[in-house]
Parts: sequence; C-alpha cells; structure tokens
Amino acid sequence: MRPFLLVHVNGVAHRIGGAHAFQTLSRYLRYEQRATGTKIVCEEGDCGACTVLIGRAEGDTLRYRPVNSCIQFLFQLDGAHIVTVEGLTSGGALTPLQDAMVRCHGAQCGYCTPGFVMAMAGMFECTNKPAKDDVKAALTGNLCRCTGYESITKAALEVEQQPRIEQLYPSEPILRAIDAVKREPVRIDNFYKPVDLESAIAFKRDHPNTVIVQGATDFGVWRTKRGFTPEAVLSLEGIDGLADVRIDGEALLVGGRVTLAQFESSVRELVPSLAEIMDRFGSPQIKNAGTLAGNIANASPIADSLPFLYVMHATLELTGSDGIRVVPIRDFYLGYKKLDLRADEIITRIRIPLPKDGDTLRLYKVSKRSHLDISTFTAAMLMRRNDGKIDSMRIAYGGVGPVVLRLGKTEEFLAGRAYSRETFAEAGEIARGEIAPISDVRGAKEFRLQLAENVLCRFYEETQAGAR
Amino acid sequence: MKYVGTDVPHDSARGHVTGESIYVDDMPPLPNELLVDFVWSPYAHARIRALDVAPARALHGIAGVYTYRDLAHNVLGPIVQDEPLLAEDVCTFRGQPIVVIAAESQAAMNAAKRAVKLDLEELKPILTIDDAIAAESFIGETRYIRRGDPAGAMENAEHVLEGVFINGGQDHFYLESQAALVYPGEFDGLTVHSSTQHPTELQHVIAHLLGIDMSQIVVQSKRMGGAFGGKESQATHPAAMASLVARTTRRPARIVFDKDTDMHVTGKRHPFQNRYRVGFTRTGEITSLLVDLYSDGGAYADLSPAVMARAMTHADNAYYIPHIEIRGTICRTNTPPNTAFRGFGGPQGVATMENIQEEIAVFLKKDPLDVRRVNCYGVDTRNTTPYEEIVANNTLPRLFTELEERCDYRTRRDAVRAFNESSATHLKGIALTAVKFGISFNTKFLNQANALVNVYLDGSVQVSTGATEMGQGVNTKIRQLVADTLGVAIERVVVMTTSTEKNNNTSATAASSGADLNGSAAVDACSRIRSRLDDVQERHGGKLSWEELIKAAYHERVPLGERGFYATPRLDWDWTSGRGTPFLYFTMGTSCSEVLIDRFTGEMKVLRADVLMDIGRPINPGVDRGQLVGAFIQGMGWVTTEELRYTEGGELLSHSPTTYKIPNINDVPEIFNVDWIDHDNPVNVAGSKAVGEPPLLMAISVWCAVKNALQFVANGDIAQLRLPATNEEILSRLTVYAKKAAIA
Repeated sequence: MRPFLLVHVNGVAHRIGGAHAFQTLSRYLRYEQRATGTKIVCEEGDCGACTVLIGRAEGDTLRYRPVNSCIQFLFQLDGAHIVTVEGLTSGGALTPLQDAMVRCHGAQCGYCTPGFVMAMAGMFECTNKPAKDDVKAALTGNLCRCTGYESITKAALEVEQQPRIEQLYPSEPILRAIDAVKREPVRIDNFYKPVDLESAIAFKRDHPNTVIVQGATDFGVWRTKRGFTPEAVLSLEGIDGLADVRIDGEALLVGGRVTLAQFESSVRELVPSLAEIMDRFGSPQIKNAGTLAGNIANASPIADSLPFLYVMHATLELTGSDGIRVVPIRDFYLGYKKLDLRADEIITRIRIPLPKDGDTLRLYKVSKRSHLDISTFTAAMLMRRNDGKIDSMRIAYGGVGPVVLRLGKTEEFLAGRAYSRETFAEAGEIARGEIAPISDVRGAKEFRLQLAENVLCRFYEETQAGAR
Repeated sequence: MKYVGTDVPHDSARGHVTGESIYVDDMPPLPNELLVDFVWSPYAHARIRALDVAPARALHGIAGVYTYRDLAHNVLGPIVQDEPLLAEDVCTFRGQPIVVIAAESQAAMNAAKRAVKLDLEELKPILTIDDAIAAESFIGETRYIRRGDPAGAMENAEHVLEGVFINGGQDHFYLESQAALVYPGEFDGLTVHSSTQHPTELQHVIAHLLGIDMSQIVVQSKRMGGAFGGKESQATHPAAMASLVARTTRRPARIVFDKDTDMHVTGKRHPFQNRYRVGFTRTGEITSLLVDLYSDGGAYADLSPAVMARAMTHADNAYYIPHIEIRGTICRTNTPPNTAFRGFGGPQGVATMENIQEEIAVFLKKDPLDVRRVNCYGVDTRNTTPYEEIVANNTLPRLFTELEERCDYRTRRDAVRAFNESSATHLKGIALTAVKFGISFNTKFLNQANALVNVYLDGSVQVSTGATEMGQGVNTKIRQLVADTLGVAIERVVVMTTSTEKNNNTSATAASSGADLNGSAAVDACSRIRSRLDDVQERHGGKLSWEELIKAAYHERVPLGERGFYATPRLDWDWTSGRGTPFLYFTMGTSCSEVLIDRFTGEMKVLRADVLMDIGRPINPGVDRGQLVGAFIQGMGWVTTEELRYTEGGELLSHSPTTYKIPNINDVPEIFNVDWIDHDNPVNVAGSKAVGEPPLLMAISVWCAVKNALQFVANGDIAQLRLPATNEEILSRLTVYAKKAAIA
C-alpha cells in the first residue's frame, strides 16, 4: 500500500501525502507551489479561470486535457502530469498561442487569461488549425467579462504551429516514474485507490458512507461551497476495464468511469440528437472530468443525460459483493437523490439500447444561457410512427419534480393517435397536468409548466417534414 | 506622432498570457500575515438585540475581533456620508458587515465566525421600488430637469402614450473579487494594496475611520482583474477592514472575498422603474415628455445621486425634445447599496427613451427608425439638450444614415416580416438604436488629474498618474501619449503602479475619463520636459540622440522630471436650475441587432449585430475595439440573461456563475460588425474620445429587437417586455399573446 500520490507539475515530480492530498489542485498550485498564474474565481467549475492541463497515460504517451483545477483534488491526480500556465512558457519565449493573444488584444484585465490560454493549449493538443466552431466549443467553459470573446477567438484562429505539450515535456521519463508505482494501491487517511474491483467493493462494504469520487465535478462543489467531508473516498481510477465504450448488438455499453467527453465522442455518429445536447451539456473541462456514471449516481432531476437514458430504457449494471445486479434506470431512483444502490455496490456499466431505424428521437435542454448552464427543464422524446399515426411515444421530463419523470398519461394518450398539430397541442395540456414543478432560481413553476406543454408542440413542428 | 493611433499591445499582455501578472491575492504572504473576514447580517433588515464577540476572541488562532466600537469614526460614503462600515444597532441590508475577525488560519476563522453570538430581531424589509414608493422611503430629494411647457405641450399633442419601463440590476462579475492586503509601517503608517479604481477614496476613508492622517497611508493599485465600476466606491470596505486589523495588530492583513460573498454583499447596477407620458405628432415627432425615474439605491446613498444625475441627463438620449420634465427619485431599500456600473445610470435613461421610440412607432404603424430619424438631434438646429447644453460636433445623423446602409436595414426588416409570417416555430425581430453619451464627471471638481513623469539618466522614463488599470488599457494609451510627446521609443516608457504617494487627490478611474484626464495631465508634464529638452537640443545644434540629449540636459542641470496637471475646461452644472454644461463632449453611436426567438421555449439568439460609433481618433484602435466589443457583449448580458433573483426575504439566489449567467463565447452574435467613423474630436487629447462606457448602451438594440419580435404576435397592442429579456420573460409574454389570440 502506497501512502503518497505521485503527481508531476510542469515536469517536476512531487510525492504528496497526508492532509495535502485532500486539497484542491488550484489551492495547491497557488498557495503551496506559489504558481499563482492559475486563478481561483468561482470554485465551482463554472468560469474556467483555473483551467490547467492534466496529462494521463494512454498507451505509451501522455494525453493532455483541460480541466478545472478548482474542483479537482490532489487525491484524484495520482499518476497525472499537471501543466499550468507557468509551465507553458519555456525559457521566457511565448508559445505561438500566447503570442497571438498578445497581438490580438486577447487579454484585457488578464484574470481569465491564463485559463483561456490553457483551454486553448488543450484544444491544440487535438487540432493544428481549428475552425471557429472548434474554438467556440473549446472555450465554452471559460468566462471573460472584458473582451466579448472576439479578440480571443481571433487569436486562436491566427495560431500557427502551437507545439504539443509532448514537445515541451517528453512523456517517456514521466511515464517511467508513473509505471514504477502505478500497480500499487494508494491509501492516505480515508482515501483509497485500489487497482482491482474486488478491493473497491470490499472497501465500500466496510465503509458504507464512502463517496466514489471520479471526476469530482459535483463532489468538488459540495466540498468548496458546503464544506462537505465524506467519511471515506474511493477512486476507481486504478481499475482497468471500466473505461471503455463498446457496442453490443443494438446497445451501447458504457464503463463506470467513462468520462462525458469519451461518451460524447462515441455517440457523435451513433445518436446525433444526443451529440447536440452533449455539446451544451457542459464545458470541455467538465466533460473531461465528469463521468456518465457520476451523472447518474448524482441523481439530480436536471441531469442532462437522464431523460435520454429514460426513453432509451437504459439499464445499470451494479456490481457488489454478491455479484452483478441489473436495474432499469427508471427504477434506480427511489426519491429525490435516493438510489436503489446497496452500500457495497458500484455502477460498473451502463447499457443503452440505441434508437432503431424509423425511431424519431429528440432531446431538449432549456436553460437561461444556451451553453454552460444548468438546465431549467429537460426532455427526451422517442416516437415510432406508422404512416400518419403515432405507434408509440416515450416521454421523459427533467426539472419538473424530485426525479426525472416518464409521462405515462401523455404517452398513453398519444399512442395510436393521428400525428398532427392538434394531437400534440392536446398532449401538451395533458403533460402539464402530469407534473408538479417548483419555482427556484432557474425559473418559476409557471415557466416550467409552459415549457412542459410547449415542448410537445415543438416536437411536432420540428419532426414534421419541411419545418426548420 | 509615432505611437498614438497605432495598435500597441496592452502593456501587461505578456504578463497576462504567462500568468506572471500579479494581483492582490497573488502577492506572497509574510509569515505573520493575518486572514481577515467578517460576519454579516443574514437579514435584509434587523435590529441587533445583543452581540457578544468574547467567545470568538477567546479562541485559539484568533488575533482580533472588532465591532464598530473599535473605529475612530464609523461613517463613510463617496457623496453623502451616511453609511456605517460596521452595523451598530440596526442592519439595513443582507450582507452588511457587523463584526471583523482577524485569524491565523481559515479553520480558526470558521470557528470564530460560529462563536460570535449575534441576537437579531428580524424587521420588515423594503425590497422593491414599489414598496419604497409606498413607504415614501427615499434617499435625498426628488430632482428635476425642466424645459419649456411640458404640461401645456402635452395637452396640445396630437397623440399621447403612457407607459412604464422596468429594468433589473446587474452584477459586475469582475473575475477578481474584492481584495486588499495591508502592511503596517513606521510612524503608525499603512501601505494598502487594493484592487481599487479609486486609491484616493481608500486613503481618505481609511484615514477617517481609523482617525489618522491621509499622509500616513499609501494606497497602491497595481491592476484589477476587472472592475466595471464595482471597485469605485465598494473596494473601500474590505480595504478598511484589513486596515483596521493591520493597525491594531501591527501585522500584515489580507482580505479576499470569494465570489459568492462578493455577489451577496456588494451593490449592483441600479434597477429602475420609469414612468412616462409622451406627446407626439402624426410623424412621430416628440413634442412633450414627462418622465419620472425611480432608481433602487439600496440601503445607503453610495453613488446613487450621481447615477441618477446621469440617468436624468441621458433620458433624452439622441433625441431633441422641446418640452420636457425629467424627475429623478432614489428609493431607499434594504438591499446592498447599489453603485457605479459601466454606464452609470446612462443605460437606464437611454433604454427608457429607446423604448419610447419603439412604442411611438408601433402606435403610428411606422418604422421605428423613421421615428428615431424624425426626433434625432440636429447639427445646427434642434440641438440643445433638456439642460441646454449644445450637442456640438453632432455626428448622430451621419451615424444613422451610414449604419442603415451598411447593415442593409430596410431589406432585412422586410425579410424579418416575411419570416415571421411563414415560420411556425420561430420569430425574428430587428431594431436600430442610438446612443449619445456625455463625457466628464457630472460633478465638476472631479474633472482634474495630475501626472508625474521622471526621465532617468539612461533615457528611460517612468510615468505615474491617478489612472488605475482594470484591463481597459489606460496605461497603454498613456504610454503612447508620453512616448510621442517626449519623442522617445515606447519601449523606454514604463507606466508605474498607481499610488497615492506619487499622485495625490486623484479622482476615480471612472466615467470613461481615465485616458482623457490622466493622459492630458501626462501630456502636460511631458510637453514641459520636451520644451526644455528642445532648448538643450538647440544649444547642441540638434544633433543629439535621445540618450545623449538626456545626458546633456542632466549635466546642464536641466530638470528631467515634471508634474503635470489637467482640469477639464468649460464645465458647469447647477441643480437648482437643472441647467449647465456638464459634459465636455459626447461619444455617439448607432447599433442594429437582429434576434431569433423560439416560439415554444422563449430561447433567444442574437443573429447579427452591427455597431457604428464616433469615438474620435482612437489613441489605440486595438484597445478601443476591445472596449467596443467587450462593452457590447456586457450590455447584451444586462438586457438578456443576467438576472438577479432573490427570495421573498431579500436573499440573493443567483450569487455565482452557476446561477448568474453572463454571456458565454457561444452568445456572441454570429455576424458581428463593429466599426467607427473617421471623425476628429478637437476638444480632447489627441482628438480621441472616451470609449469605456458608451458601447455598453449599444446593446439596448438587442432588447429593442426582442420587443420588436414580440410586436408581431401582440395583436396590435404595444408589446410589453421587462429588461432583462430572459427566455422566461419572453415565453411569458408569448404565452399571454397566444392566449389572447386564441380567445379572439
């Protein structure tokens, strides 16, 4: 058992143990390493000022992705290489993207700038010459209050030959250092990172109030904003076999620690309407850290993936001491944030049947701001049609109650009816009666009721031929 | 001129992109530094029945716990001194500081906050403008600007319309929250590092609260991670708290707000509720206007009187109104004192007027642009404001004409109409609005600045002014002006940290005036150095290089330092008559926006925006373009997604970026054309114009475009719309009109 984490920062190895392991990465960088280029603004992953690159071993190389360091904890980063804004400049020379930012007036007050620079550096790990839409997607998670983004976008588009991080920090020596320790499980106080599933299950059984922290995109906020301190923390990062997405017949199998970014890239071709929602789901920083299983286990009624999983009749594979249990997603939620999950069980896989030929799938997310915003209302609809008639319709709404809901009465009403504007208008009124939303900061009850009604009309208008 | 008019990069750009730029929280701590924080009122209005800080004081790791009793004086305020730093008997807003704590660690701080025994009796709060009007809870007297015979002209008007314009507040959302670090020094002195737009205000207030001389305090502001007005008066409070700790403990003291605290406790842009009655002819020409402005000032005056003055002097906007009465009343409510925010009342006055132009057009079934053109200030006639200042050098008619052509307004308006007739799913709207923004502080004495220029033996130059750098590039502009006036390479000129030690009695870097005032003062200093250098050069036959010239001047005992001064000429203002010349000139512009609305969800997207401005001859076109674009997007946030939501008890619910939504990169209009006309401004330094605030008001075209879209479904009524036009607000209007249509 290893009592320390091995974390590289800008090429330098650090062994971190004890209480230090429980700090956020941003605080560690700023106040222990005095690398103050990384800024802390919101401490909830919603502004991107703390963006750094996290490199992890993939095959024989390190692959770097941008994440929000304010809601990453050092205990998550065993075996990772962190590159901060200070680490991007070597010998005082600006890299091309920094130079473009200077030239194009991409920085005004400068407080968001290191975050933008690192998010852009993350983008240039995957592309040499991004298009404008790539830039927008890559910088969705970074807020700037000064520039209005134009100069930043221009800078990104002007960059020629940004070096890869690999060129600044060769992977080989870092990987060698990681390889030397990675097969050894880590235990620091109440944190445990096993290297096999059995040990993880045993730990969870012995510590029933364990929180599995994978991406920490929500856990991080509980901790920074509410001071939440779990009894024990379990990381699945060291366990092989949970990080892949596979197609099995007509279903997609998603491993328990598959990130939202991985999930998004695997469904882009398979389910285009889902890819659209995933685009607005969150920032690259969040999608690179958060997992689909985490989104499910977190049980928020406005989780953006859930209505989709509901209408597709997704099932969860739960592994515990007694073996594997399969639970339909709908039955997994017993009440607000109450799960059908035993103390020793872990979500090891999610099985998602894919839409069939002739199925019409539409997903909706309404939020105050189109991108990087928590939903006010979400919906998924899956229709099977036969000529002018609706064969069957599955409808799931989020944000209208303590859990995501299937709209049984509305579905029943629609089944067998004519596919027409009038049908859907009537269905909207029935849907309105099936839900009891509340008023909160994201919207009043009346707004949600109206959306619940209107979204069915919207579905009709956009699925009928010729509509825009 | 060599540098002025060129795209010199921001002087801190390199530090920004490498992370080397230092902000207050980036300064390394000394080993004995203390952490400063405060206990604030959890209620909007409450009586303090009992307060016991002894249990907190007794805790390990606590260096001091302070109440108002520990201050020499407990009153502050930039205009009227009416605000306590720490609540005494009554708390008048949620977030009001009551107790200041100095701790060795965050853990000790948390324990001490819990240990403070605070017994509060909750009182009924006033939380809205309507409540304040009903309770007659006001700050100061109602003020007036009057011209002609508005009542008589109203009676004779061909048509009369009445309405109300309502806007919400806006959080500054500077990325760097309020922060200060204070070092105690010799002679009972303090050195205060603060993220502030107004070092002199800090120096003045801290001296007063602690009962020491201003000369014992040095305030420095290296840079701010954004400010937008939020650090004009309200950076004072945290700095004063840390100063209290540093002075009593003789240890360095640092206070850094987290984002949530910052949003909870600081003031915002003022919500307004403006009632109007407008008389006009069949062509849309306004003959009379009565407008009653009510602002929500919050619990104390702060800058509200000046904000109201600017709202009142901008209620005419770009339009000539012969008979007019503008009334301005500030409501006192139990919210954090509302404060300066880019535009400073201008946006609320201007939006009211642009809304009136839209409504007249709807009423007369005319194109709103035609109504605006009929009312637009003339170049030679119809060119005096309600307060009788002449709109000199007026480019508004030209800006209207050029933008109308450039953005293809008429064709697109027809296309919008056609689209709305055919689309079952979406609605479009378009609007072309204008801005005329007065430049100068409304308060005359604030329009002064000084500068210190030192030329060193090697020919390098340091410049210090009262201008503070918040990203707007004022240091870069001053650097360009200095380099050109002295005739030295720009690389040899450094703009120094703003410090009250170098420049005394400075005004806030505010009112878009930073470069105008401080740039002029720097040019004044440099001109005098240059003229002495010219004499030296002449004695040497004009052959000396810059470096040789400086050496020669030194050896000939010619002074190589100078202090410059500038006071804006001509200004004058009198509240008793509501008359005067409060502004040196006006920055002007026109803007056209087109929006697309989802009829089912109320979701809105800005498809295209065109901005055309008269910003004089920019000192730095790249910097100014950044101001235009950035301000427009910030203004777009105010009119669309930035909604402050409160509980019934006055607790702010949207207090972080998760719930408070400023524009994101995806919100930038797909087509976004920003430009300016070539036009000199002979009354200001280098022919330039102030540019910080005016383009924010260009985004009012977005709000008007939403209103225009709603007009297509409003069944002939004048569409109603609050600001911000969130998707929730839009959908609620669409639903009302759809129901009305169904009944009809």
